[in-house]
Amino acid sequence: MPKYVMVIDLQSCVGCGACSIACKNENNLTEGIFWSSKITETSGTFPNVRYHYTPTLCNHCEDAPCVRGCPTQAMHKLDNGITMHDPKKCIGCRYCMFNCPYGVISFNWEKPFKFWRDDTPVIKGCTASPRELVQKVNNGTATPYYNPEREATLPGARPKGVVEKCTFCDHRIKNEELPYCVEACPANARIFGDLEKRDSEVNFLLGKFRPFRLKEGLGTEPNVYYIRSFNPAAYKSTKGGV
Amino acid sequence: MKGRLWIGVLSLAILAGLVTTFRIFTTGFVLYAKTDILVWTMPVAAYIFFSLTSAGLAFVSSIPLVFNIKRYEAIEKRTVFLEIAVLCAGFICLILHLGSPLKVIYFLLSPNPASPLWWLAMLYGLYLVVLLVSFWKIHTAHASKALGTLVFLIAIGTSTALGWLVGMTNARPALDPSFLPVYFPVTAFACGLAAIMLFSLASSYFSGAPLSAERSALFNEVAKVFGVVIGTTLVLFIWRTITGAISSSGVEFAAFRHMMGSLSYQTELWMGLVVPFILMLLPPLRITTWGKVVASTSLLVGMLAGRLEMVLTGEIMPLGPMAEGIPQFVSYWPTISEVLAAIFALAVMLLLYTLGDRHLNLDGTQDKSEAGT
Repeated sequence: MPKYVMVIDLQSCVGCGACSIACKNENNLTEGIFWSSKITETSGTFPNVRYHYTPTLCNHCEDAPCVRGCPTQAMHKLDNGITMHDPKKCIGCRYCMFNCPYGVISFNWEKPFKFWRDDTPVIKGCTASPRELVQKVNNGTATPYYNPEREATLPGARPKGVVEKCTFCDHRIKNEELPYCVEACPANARIFGDLEKRDSEVNFLLGKFRPFRLKEGLGTEPNVYYIRSFNPAAYKSTKGGV
Repeated sequence: MKGRLWIGVLSLAILAGLVTTFRIFTTGFVLYAKTDILVWTMPVAAYIFFSLTSAGLAFVSSIPLVFNIKRYEAIEKRTVFLEIAVLCAGFICLILHLGSPLKVIYFLLSPNPASPLWWLAMLYGLYLVVLLVSFWKIHTAHASKALGTLVFLIAIGTSTALGWLVGMTNARPALDPSFLPVYFPVTAFACGLAAIMLFSLASSYFSGAPLSAERSALFNEVAKVFGVVIGTTLVLFIWRTITGAISSSGVEFAAFRHMMGSLSYQTELWMGLVVPFILMLLPPLRITTWGKVVASTSLLVGMLAGRLEMVLTGEIMPLGPMAEGIPQFVSYWPTISEVLAAIFALAVMLLLYTLGDRHLNLDGTQDKSEAGT
């Protein structure tokens, strides 16, 4: 049985956000929900400051607190290591969100795609309203850019009252395709693969570099690893001073 | 006339609650202070409050049956009925929190015994059934020691499991998993004592029938126990403050330190603990009816605020990408819909109690309690 992990190369990542946009398209994410996101930080004091960018997604933890806490097993582990969510069983208690140390689970507070149900045209008497546009392009379902392939393992768009999160694009993996954020990354900063295959690229990278994972001290054993850091700067050799 | 006005006010509150419920399940939870950071808010705090108060009432009702202190039989029937009414209020708050409450069938079809929430659901289901049977037994003059003991054990289970529920979160160390399963049952007992005193004295006042000398003596004793429990709670509260605010260095405890300045924390401290403790500490105040009523009301209001403070402490510091573009601490003020949801639950509880008080002879004592059965 494969064990899927993702390696994110922070030196290659340019912070363009293509992963987040690709993810939203592939998984029909509604307004305000991001399965693929980022943490941005600044360190130091002016003029010695630095900007840090860390792409984030569900860590598909081995010992996932969201899975442990879910009363109906809506949040569950697949044999391949993916932490999966079943909206049919989700009662919307949001305990997984309360439990997740990484802040990567979202709740559908209302019916998805509110924007596309709006009857107001952008320019009155000139352009179509979002609702009219959806009607013409996609027979009134979801959005003009709706991806029906998502329906293979989840409702194409998750309904009001349930949570949702990254699934490592499990519907694509079934078709032996890479997660769409990996596919879309222009810098090849996201590397996906099977940890059980000794010669896989992810095993090569995890052996070659010193990887780290987010909040490792919690013992959740995330399956998203980070390697290297984007910091090409050099400095004059020094021992400091008193 | 006063009675009709009271029923009218409660009916209006319930009507507003029903409209709110309809709006929540048609429009969505956008009516709440919705963010993916504050995912548990007023309805959950109210649910914890009502559930713990119900457990506390179970502790009170177990005094005659489990601990054989027979003079408490005089308030047992009222306590058990109030327990049912308060539990129903808790259920309403829970339903108004769940995004998809109709799917609760999956608690049975797809159970997860590793989840505290699953255990709570199972225990509460059993709790309501046992309570109803237990009340029926008392109503038909046959209090059952076996059922009373079962209610007591379930109440220990629910009040401690609620502590497990809130405390098991890996990400939120400020919610201490070893502190809450102690703090919750102790505060539950305090709430139970406060509720039975308040509702018994209010019933006596509004019915115009003065308390008998035996009942007055009993409530003076309850007030003493109440004072001791508030004192215990105050000690636990102070130690939580010391460990959380002074002797902890974890970044996550910053949330607790921030909450110390909040209205909910201050209300819990002053209204929930200090005021009722002083009132119950001084005998001249303790023996008065108004002293008991003020202390009980003050504690219940303070504890509701305390439950909200507890929930918010775990949430106000956003985690991971949720913190992007957000201040270090997010602020919270309940929306009208959240307040109406809590009022709806309270109104249903009060209506149930009022009807029970009128029609079920809640002061009726058992003639033949089944001690030893």
